[in-house]
Amino acid sequence: MAAVDRSIHILKKPGYFQGTFLAMGSPCEVLSGTDDESLASSLFDVVASEAWRIEDKFSRYLPDNAVDRINRSDGQSVEVDDETANMLDFAASLHEMSDGRFDITSGVLRKAWVFDGSDRIPDDGLVQSILATVGWEKVAWDRPTLTLQPGMQIDFGGIGKEYAVDKPAGLAVDNSNAPMLLNFGGDVVATGSPGNSSGWQVGIEALESSARKADRVIRLAQGALATSGDARRFILKDGVRYGHILDPGTGWPIKDTPRSVTVAADTCTEAGMLATLAMLRGADAEEFLQAQDVQFWQQR
Amino acid sequence: MSRNSKKPLAVSLATATCALLGTTTASPVIAQEEPVWEFNTALLYYGESDNRVEDISLNVLAQRNFVDDRILTLGLTVDSLTGATPYGAIPFDGPQTFTTPSGLQVRTTPANEIPLDDTFFDTRYAVRGSWQQPLGRMNTFSAGLSFSGEFDYKHLGANFKISHDFNKRNSTVSLALAVARDDLDPEGGAPVPLSAMLDVGDLCNRIGDVDKDVVDIVAGITQVVNRNLLFQVNYSFSNSSGYLNDPYKIISLVDSISGDPLPRIPTPGIAGPSHQYLFESRPDERTKHSLYVQTKYYMNGKVLDASYRFMTGDWDIDSHTLDLRYRWPLSGGNYLEPHFRYYTQSHAEFYRPSIDWWISAPILCFRRLSPRRIRCHHRWPQVRLGNRIRQ
Repeated sequence: MAAVDRSIHILKKPGYFQGTFLAMGSPCEVLSGTDDESLASSLFDVVASEAWRIEDKFSRYLPDNAVDRINRSDGQSVEVDDETANMLDFAASLHEMSDGRFDITSGVLRKAWVFDGSDRIPDDGLVQSILATVGWEKVAWDRPTLTLQPGMQIDFGGIGKEYAVDKPAGLAVDNSNAPMLLNFGGDVVATGSPGNSSGWQVGIEALESSARKADRVIRLAQGALATSGDARRFILKDGVRYGHILDPGTGWPIKDTPRSVTVAADTCTEAGMLATLAMLRGADAEEFLQAQDVQFWQQR
Repeated sequence: MSRNSKKPLAVSLATATCALLGTTTASPVIAQEEPVWEFNTALLYYGESDNRVEDISLNVLAQRNFVDDRILTLGLTVDSLTGATPYGAIPFDGPQTFTTPSGLQVRTTPANEIPLDDTFFDTRYAVRGSWQQPLGRMNTFSAGLSFSGEFDYKHLGANFKISHDFNKRNSTVSLALAVARDDLDPEGGAPVPLSAMLDVGDLCNRIGDVDKDVVDIVAGITQVVNRNLLFQVNYSFSNSSGYLNDPYKIISLVDSISGDPLPRIPTPGIAGPSHQYLFESRPDERTKHSLYVQTKYYMNGKVLDASYRFMTGDWDIDSHTLDLRYRWPLSGGNYLEPHFRYYTQSHAEFYRPSIDWWISAPILCFRRLSPRRIRCHHRWPQVRLGNRIRQ
């Protein structure tokens, strides 16, 4: 793997400082509503360091981290540390809450499905053979010991991105009461309003095909926004669009998912999970979110 | 979203998230979509207490919000004015005949009636646009253009405003400048001030198009007293120069003993005024000062808006305006807004209801005569029905 860029770029803007860096393959942006450059700079260090720590520990692309050790266990039991155990507990809760639709073992299906805007549909035989190694119910999880069946893998991608925003935001709040906005590739957390304004303005880009052409602007004073969507991740074959959300039951993409769902919640993790669970409901996404009584914005 | 309104799945998710993040509670989310376009439409009916003038006005205001608190505002107003307006001539116990403003016809007012021009009907279109954006953290700048047109009147204006917030944004001071050029193209051409109303077809006292320039400067302070109460004080200075007359207003020349209008004999075979009338003459410059105080009180969605304006100036017209509005929200973004306005003013120092024939010569030299604005008291209730759409 090429050398990773772990620098933070700081810019002074009217009323705040902006820090940008790369983590989890996304551009990450932190805004700090303070006039104190050294405070802003130290907060950016705290936030970026925590994001990079989480990436290093839970990325499935990196060798010899917590996830890699589990995925190479080949049927052997693995004892995990507290933080990894918390992630696995959370994954187990979500699997139960979603009646099995949310499954951190379904990542192996990506061997068959490549969502790159092309028209390549995998052979169903390949999908079915991979499906034999998918299913949280096949996993033995007895904190702190995890045992996967041979060939199974886990992927915290669906949880880790939002977790990697909430955790640094929490550390930043512990360090300073300066209001901040964290935007890690569309997962957003605000810890207060800048100056005496009524909140940060967060733009949600309109999809090209959306009936609503204008971008939306959300005023976020506190809490989080997370978006799940397939703007660029899809397969288009014979006029059928296959979105990137896979059903761990069938191994095929879920039909009729919204193109994009943005949810507001107290934490980015909750917002992200609600958006993902909505996507997993396909055509019923909107009904699901309405039933949860949360603020959301959907594009079909 | 308050925590206790969460649905079962959301509660389980919140509990699981707290366990994951190692926190006990999270601060509740405060998020709101900013309307991209906001439309405010209102229909306004205005009638004067003496049933002379009626105005039906349609207002459409569209506001587009951009990121970084930049706002584009576009407004359109269409006014339809009808009613009779006084010529300015005094009533008399005999009929009076006037040449119409176009100079092409005559009209006769019966005995003992206030001479009124009942041909008064006009539609006014006004469009305006403004751009507002922050300038640094605590300042806001806006600039705008306005244009309005009637069949005999064109207005073109530009305005600029800068405001500064302080005291935790509870106080705002602002300074605004507006400049305007108004062009008048009255029917038949603007008359020479103090020239006589002439027979039909005789337009030798008309000077065609005229114009005036207006500059306004407003300095103000706004104070948020608490969540429900806002208070504002403005001082404004206004200077107008150019043709400041109403080109349709006339004044009667009267006999100094009887007080009756002096008769006049039109050229034989041609229709013309029955009495002697002069077109009004006002100074060609005017300076006004006004002090304006306003308070807005918000009560559970209802808004009481009260204001008072005192105006004075070098024409010695002092006016007082009391304005009360009460906005009553109805369902579906509609609202009802009763509006009460009380207005009173003193007459201009050069005002004469009529001119005695023997003093007319010296007054002509000063050219400071106007029959406009009898000392008057107006009260007019009006109701605005409006709608606000947020998209």
